[in-house]
Amino acid sequence: MLSAKPFRAACSSWAVLMWTNRLCISKVCMSTSFSIKDTWHCNRNVRSLLKARGLTCNTNQSSTLWNNCSGRSKVSCWSCKQPLDQTPAFFCVSCKVVQPPEEGTSYFKIMACDYTFTLDTQQLQKKYLQLQRLLHPDNFSQKSVTEQQYSESQSALVNKAYTTLLKPLSRGLYMLELEGMHIKEGTESAHSAFFMELMEINEALDEAQTPEEANKIGQDTKGKLAELTEQIDTALRKGILLQ
Amino acid sequence: MAVPVASKCLGSLSLLSRRLSAPEFTTRCCYHKKVVDHYENPRNVGTLDKNSRNVGTGLVGAPACGDVMKLQIQVDDQGKIVDARFKTFGCGSAIASSSLATEWVKGKSVDEALTIRNTDIAKELCLPPVKLHCSMLAEDAIKAALADYRLKQQDGQQEAVSASS
Repeated sequence: MLSAKPFRAACSSWAVLMWTNRLCISKVCMSTSFSIKDTWHCNRNVRSLLKARGLTCNTNQSSTLWNNCSGRSKVSCWSCKQPLDQTPAFFCVSCKVVQPPEEGTSYFKIMACDYTFTLDTQQLQKKYLQLQRLLHPDNFSQKSVTEQQYSESQSALVNKAYTTLLKPLSRGLYMLELEGMHIKEGTESAHSAFFMELMEINEALDEAQTPEEANKIGQDTKGKLAELTEQIDTALRKGILLQ
Repeated sequence: MAVPVASKCLGSLSLLSRRLSAPEFTTRCCYHKKVVDHYENPRNVGTLDKNSRNVGTGLVGAPACGDVMKLQIQVDDQGKIVDARFKTFGCGSAIASSSLATEWVKGKSVDEALTIRNTDIAKELCLPPVKLHCSMLAEDAIKAALADYRLKQQDGQQEAVSASS
């Protein structure tokens, strides 16, 4: 019996990437018709996005999502009151004490990655391990309760950032979220030609008699995935350049 | 909301009567026996001639979980659904929902079939909350098939009108 699972998973990925892709491209098209200052830099979008995540926000912090520290309000160390100049600041430069995570920091900033869809996952993994070595709550078992709590939050946030950025799908969806777009689960706005294509692939897979035939379909699907990933990257990059 | 692609779905195909290693019918953790029944003994799997004037085809999908569902109905001249077929690629609940949908539409008129609700399907199959979207998909498939049939009928009528004039 041929195992269809990996290819079904690839199909699913492709389906969602395709849907994500369509939204990316339509967003790029939309943004070209507005002036730059109106759309993506609009604080309104960022504010509603942050609200949707249940975070409090202020106008200054919203710019940390895109830029390096231009015009952000100064945050100080909770222990020694010295200003924290980095974003994100995991530890105070002066007294080395662990800091609480700053609300609204993008996962890209946390993992020190460029804000692009194509990501070096090895680099990401390296950074993840590096950060967890410093921030994991096990390192703080002898420290104060406040420090333990802060390290817990930081560690959890780094986990979240890592898992989101690791896979192309969650990364793409997160980037769309940052642009103020949410993809709902549902069948609306999908083209029937797309479902036809999906149906045909599934049927071909079902009719495959040999592992070689199944593999060929798998390779084709992976090729389509790679193509779509590239298209999404281009679309997102174009959109970012329009800011 | 990030969509878990690592699927909630079984990732199974509907066409072949594959036997799963029989799940134990313990509470909580398994598919309901009605769902398993539809999976192991699917009713009305297959295809109808989509080019026929009396056949309506509904093709729907849920990209979030990779489910694709095709439901076809054959309607006689009195507007009654005389045959229905489905093909679903998705989890057991999606297969069961579409299988049940084809069972229910048979014998109904086109207007009666429109009244089938996803809540009825979910109730009949005892779907857990996480699988309710499968019954929603089945309802959408029925509606899509009916809409396609209506469109074909309208096109047919228009052709008849322009031919006679």
